[in-house]
Amino acid sequence: MSDSIIVEGLGKRFRRHSGDRPWTLQEAVLRGFRGLKAEEYFWALKDVSFRVLAGKMTGLIGRNGAGKSTLLWLVGGVGRPSQGKIFTQGKIGALIDLGAGFHPDLTGRENIFINGVISGLTRQEVARRFDSIVGFSELGDFIESPFRTYSTGMRMRLAFSVAVHTDPDILLIDEVLAVGDMAFQQKCLDRIEAFKRGGCAILLVSHDTSLVGELCDEVLWIDAGQVRAQGPAKLVVQQYVQEMQAETQRRTPSSWPAHPLHDGGELRVNENRFGSLEIEIQDVRLLDVNGNAVTSLDSGDALRVELHFNNPQKIPAPIFGVTITRADGLVCYDTSTASAPLQLPELRGRGSVVLQIERLDLNGGEYFVDVGSYKNDWSYAYDYHWHVYSITVEPQPGEKGILRPPHHWEIGNLEGLEEIIIKSHGKES
Amino acid sequence: MNRPAAYPQLLYLIDLLRELIGRDMKLRYKRSLLGIAWSLLNPLAQLLVFSLIFSLVLPLDIENYASFLFTGLLAWNWFQTSLYAATGAIVDNRELIRRPGFSAMILPVVTVATNFIHYLLALPILLVFLWINGFSLQASGAALPAIFAVQFLFTLSLSYFVATLHVTFRDTQYLLGIVLLLGFYLSPVFYDISAIPDRFQVIYRLNPMAMLIDAYRQILLQGQMPGWQGLLALSLISAGLLLVSYRIFVRASAQFAEEL
Repeated sequence: MSDSIIVEGLGKRFRRHSGDRPWTLQEAVLRGFRGLKAEEYFWALKDVSFRVLAGKMTGLIGRNGAGKSTLLWLVGGVGRPSQGKIFTQGKIGALIDLGAGFHPDLTGRENIFINGVISGLTRQEVARRFDSIVGFSELGDFIESPFRTYSTGMRMRLAFSVAVHTDPDILLIDEVLAVGDMAFQQKCLDRIEAFKRGGCAILLVSHDTSLVGELCDEVLWIDAGQVRAQGPAKLVVQQYVQEMQAETQRRTPSSWPAHPLHDGGELRVNENRFGSLEIEIQDVRLLDVNGNAVTSLDSGDALRVELHFNNPQKIPAPIFGVTITRADGLVCYDTSTASAPLQLPELRGRGSVVLQIERLDLNGGEYFVDVGSYKNDWSYAYDYHWHVYSITVEPQPGEKGILRPPHHWEIGNLEGLEEIIIKSHGKES
Repeated sequence: MNRPAAYPQLLYLIDLLRELIGRDMKLRYKRSLLGIAWSLLNPLAQLLVFSLIFSLVLPLDIENYASFLFTGLLAWNWFQTSLYAATGAIVDNRELIRRPGFSAMILPVVTVATNFIHYLLALPILLVFLWINGFSLQASGAALPAIFAVQFLFTLSLSYFVATLHVTFRDTQYLLGIVLLLGFYLSPVFYDISAIPDRFQVIYRLNPMAMLIDAYRQILLQGQMPGWQGLLALSLISAGLLLVSYRIFVRASAQFAEEL
């Protein structure tokens, strides 16, 4: 197989203008064209080298502002490298800024043609794929309605659909896999998998480390414009996650008054509480279906996890997460507002986030409900409560394992005369 | 970006041009009932005002003034609206500029071409005026496409320049407005080129728009072929200017994504 992307010693220097760079000719003339030259430069990327083979997928991880997106733009030919070389082989497709370039006043059909052609197809090629694009987007007759009448999900589906019909040899993806509902997400992932099999080289930028670990062959961890680690996906992702934990520990204040909990326990930093405490989770309540506090429930019952937080400073788009682990450390369920996918607004002051679990189909046992709030790029935790809240799921005699799905047994009489249905003792909803 | 052979690439650019022009046209007419009439309303209103002033208030004594004026107005409007729109060609298309593989160099062509279509759409009205004034299109009409081409070339060469400048200086559009206002009075749109005193004639004719408008009038009103030497010189100068402004544009285009 051949290299589709070769990046060698890539560096990108941006100009940083002084705050009063003249933006108008009038000002520039009045000041004798001073201040037009950049005051200083900074390196957004430095010494980045990697290759992506045809049919392989490389992930880019790192914090916000580390330079991942800049790297993606440069590979896409937007902007010019200040140092080093980029070589790309074949047609480049991009799943970046989905929906940009789609005009609200034009119909879905018109937008498909314009965006197909902008993405590098000829009109004839778009026409040939038109039905397939509409089919994939699941828009049906809506295709003749103006784009502005579409829901966000419909817009994303259409934009994604056009983008995946461009037959790229290289695909650049930036945080756009969380498109629409679960079924459509799966469809997108399947399509990306198909691209890979077809020999497409893929560069994926994502904060979702588990997704990157799963999908990618190799991962580049970029930190402050430089490659911090590169290698097999699982390995680098693991290093990155460890670094996040270390970062959280570094940011945890060494002394902080113990925070009493309503059940008599205490939150103590560096024991069961970690994080910078920019957002403080002050109270966590585990409630049953009637809104009463619970410490134990039956398998299949609903569980409501309420996080009450306070942050005196403005925090842009934080992430809240809940993890349910068994006493032996096994992660039974882990979810977050980011995987919903839910973009929280800038938060300030007091508020609450609630995770409503309709059915907790865990087998009997002791479980911990760990909660946390995280920076929007997952780079560290604001407040993470480890093994503070516990819940007991009442055990059913004779049953083992982690899951206890709703179930019943059916036994057919051999003569087929009569059917005996023995229902389990579990809850039915 | 590596592209396939030149021929498919050219076909692709034509498709791209067609889609982008189509987008501009559709958007302009999508939500107005008057539709295409809008682009005719403006020159007609100008025509009305100038005709009233220069035949009643300050009579210029030009024969068939409506036809005379409209010929100049339409040509000038194409030039003016193209340049004006070109200032926003890059700045208003941020999402296109940031698309991997997108050729930004097509955008100024789109603005000049879109406005050329508006010009062509208004042309039948001009022909009606000519017909009312008793003119008919002579054999010299065959020279019109050549004049269109020269004006296209000249406008495009300036468009690349203002589009680039506007990325760095966001008041380019206002300044351009002033320059165009001066240009309007320094071009023979509503008066005749012969009204200029002899000693200024040479300098005055250096104005490319004066030359172009005069050429249109010779073809349409006098049924004569225009002076080819001047037009040839203008097209050569425009081509040279285009090379320069295009190169400036390409050099600056590496920075576009950062500056937007």
